[in-house]
Amino acid sequence: MNLIYTSIGFFALAALLGMYLLTFVLRGKETPKAIVFSHGPMAVVGLVLLIIYIARGGPNPWESLVLFVLAALGGLYMISRDLTGRPIPKALAVGHGLLAVGGFVLLLVFAFGD
Amino acid sequence: METQSFWEATTPQRPDYPTLDGGLRVDVAIIGGGITGITAAHQLAKAGKRVAVLEARRVGGGTTGWSTGNLYVPVGPYFHHIAKTRSQEVASTVAQARFTALNFIEQHAQQYSIDCHFARRPWYFFTQEEDMVSNIEKEAEALQQAGMATEFVTQVPGLRFDSVQRAVRMDGQARFHPLRYVLGLAKAVTQMGGQIYEHTTVLDLKEEEDHCLLKTTHGTVTCNQMIIATHIPIGIHSVQTVAAPYRSYVVAMRLKSGAYPDAYYWHNDKTHHAITTHSTDSMELDMLMIAGNHHKTGQASHQEYQHYFNELEAYARQHFDIASVEFRWSAQHYRSGDGVPYIGLTHKSAKRTYIATGFYADGLTYGTVAGIQLADTIAGEGSPWLEAFDATRGTNLSTAGEFIKENANVAAQYLKDIPAGQASHFSDIGPGEGKTIEVDSEKLAVYRDEHSQLHVCSAVCTHMKCIVNWNNAEKTWDCPCHGSRFMIDGSVIEGPAILNLERKAIDPTSGHLLESGGKTSGEREINNPIT
Repeated sequence: MNLIYTSIGFFALAALLGMYLLTFVLRGKETPKAIVFSHGPMAVVGLVLLIIYIARGGPNPWESLVLFVLAALGGLYMISRDLTGRPIPKALAVGHGLLAVGGFVLLLVFAFGD
Repeated sequence: METQSFWEATTPQRPDYPTLDGGLRVDVAIIGGGITGITAAHQLAKAGKRVAVLEARRVGGGTTGWSTGNLYVPVGPYFHHIAKTRSQEVASTVAQARFTALNFIEQHAQQYSIDCHFARRPWYFFTQEEDMVSNIEKEAEALQQAGMATEFVTQVPGLRFDSVQRAVRMDGQARFHPLRYVLGLAKAVTQMGGQIYEHTTVLDLKEEEDHCLLKTTHGTVTCNQMIIATHIPIGIHSVQTVAAPYRSYVVAMRLKSGAYPDAYYWHNDKTHHAITTHSTDSMELDMLMIAGNHHKTGQASHQEYQHYFNELEAYARQHFDIASVEFRWSAQHYRSGDGVPYIGLTHKSAKRTYIATGFYADGLTYGTVAGIQLADTIAGEGSPWLEAFDATRGTNLSTAGEFIKENANVAAQYLKDIPAGQASHFSDIGPGEGKTIEVDSEKLAVYRDEHSQLHVCSAVCTHMKCIVNWNNAEKTWDCPCHGSRFMIDGSVIEGPAILNLERKAIDPTSGHLLESGGKTSGEREINNPIT
């Protein structure tokens, strides 16, 4: 379970940064790229750890993985739009966040639920 | 001392070309009226193509008019490096292409009687340091293998350098006035029916199935092919991951003795200096130039950019009897990982869009190479240089390290974009200073002029959103990621950015942003120092 706990740690940090970024997107401001390029890699590390855990077999939080992968695709799309000068749709930013929160909650339930 | 190019200052007459207004249909549209664009236009017009050059400012007013006026076969990244990263065959092709370009310039300067002071002279490559001797020897051997005649010499004529450890000489290189030459060639382009438009900024470019479409500030151009001859392609291109932007500096001085050496020298110790001489208004040499001090654009290791000029001046005073410093300027160049430029179709699926970039600081000769090669390709005549300069080749194993280094550097620049500026309040910015500041969650590039007037723009580069840095020698905002540069009013000077930095308005009493302040466009301001 250590992998899961470490993964949760990375996802939690990514979530904090993501919430901060969301405040910029919702106000129509430029996102600070240091935060963008920290948020993404942290989430990727969390995702990779989760994939390794699942690949080992046994009971696993695959629903959480699906939501995180969808969130990651949304994140990649948003960064590509951001760096090429196209506005980030606010609904997409919120949807990306909700998917990630959903995945995170499911992961917490899997790790700490009975 | 303000920065000013010697070439700009010594060009007596500059014809005014019109601004494009309305629609235009041509065979080939060329974006950029520097030596690359004008050479290509000349060759295409000569081949019977309908051609239009679209220049955002004035012909020759970009890097061509801010160079050092030297024409030579050797290259800054060295042929022995190219032979290693690519192959001996590629190194030989590059040398042959540069040799051809040099002859092309001489021939056309004569053919059109362009008063550009073209004169042949030798190139010397020397060192005073024992541990740099092997570099000189390897390069001399590489030039020989590429078919260029070189000879080792014990003296470097014209210079008073003690204890030269190793020196090589190559005859038949040349000097010229690049701006006068390009203006002369541009005149020939119009005489052959080519069209040249100045103050015509391309804001959008698109390759369609059967044509290309370019939108400018006041018109549109439809064409069969387009050449992006803007030093680095404007907009977002994959080649920007393999061509890194650097600045270098030049100081032009007069000598007390008037004994100007008639040669071009590379002094290659731990630091590299280029020594050259030129003439103001005749064939008589009357100006010494020292060039060097390369650094990545927007990433000076010295906060005071004047340091770079001062170091060159100190070097000159150490070796020459300097009477006065007349001009100081700096210019941009782009380096490819393998030391060979990218000239050709922009990417593997492109059929109509051509680029030319990665010239290192050897761009006057390479610009001519690119102009010839691209025109030959488009005119269907083929080119023996295509493969060597293939713009779609990307990186290979031997250049992967350089690729990773340059792109990790770009990533590191993004990581500096934290939610805080260099100054916390406008009052922290003194007269003549520029700093970034964060106001209302926005990064601003703020310059306070000598009259205490604030000039405020967004600090977010319009190319790929890095935060620009202040260049206090040229009073410009320079992007450390891909080399876009902007005036204090936010207008683009050079680099891949198309749009100006967004202008911002602040409430002088509260110091907060005014909602109505945002405005961005591609219009180049007429107060640009680069005209």
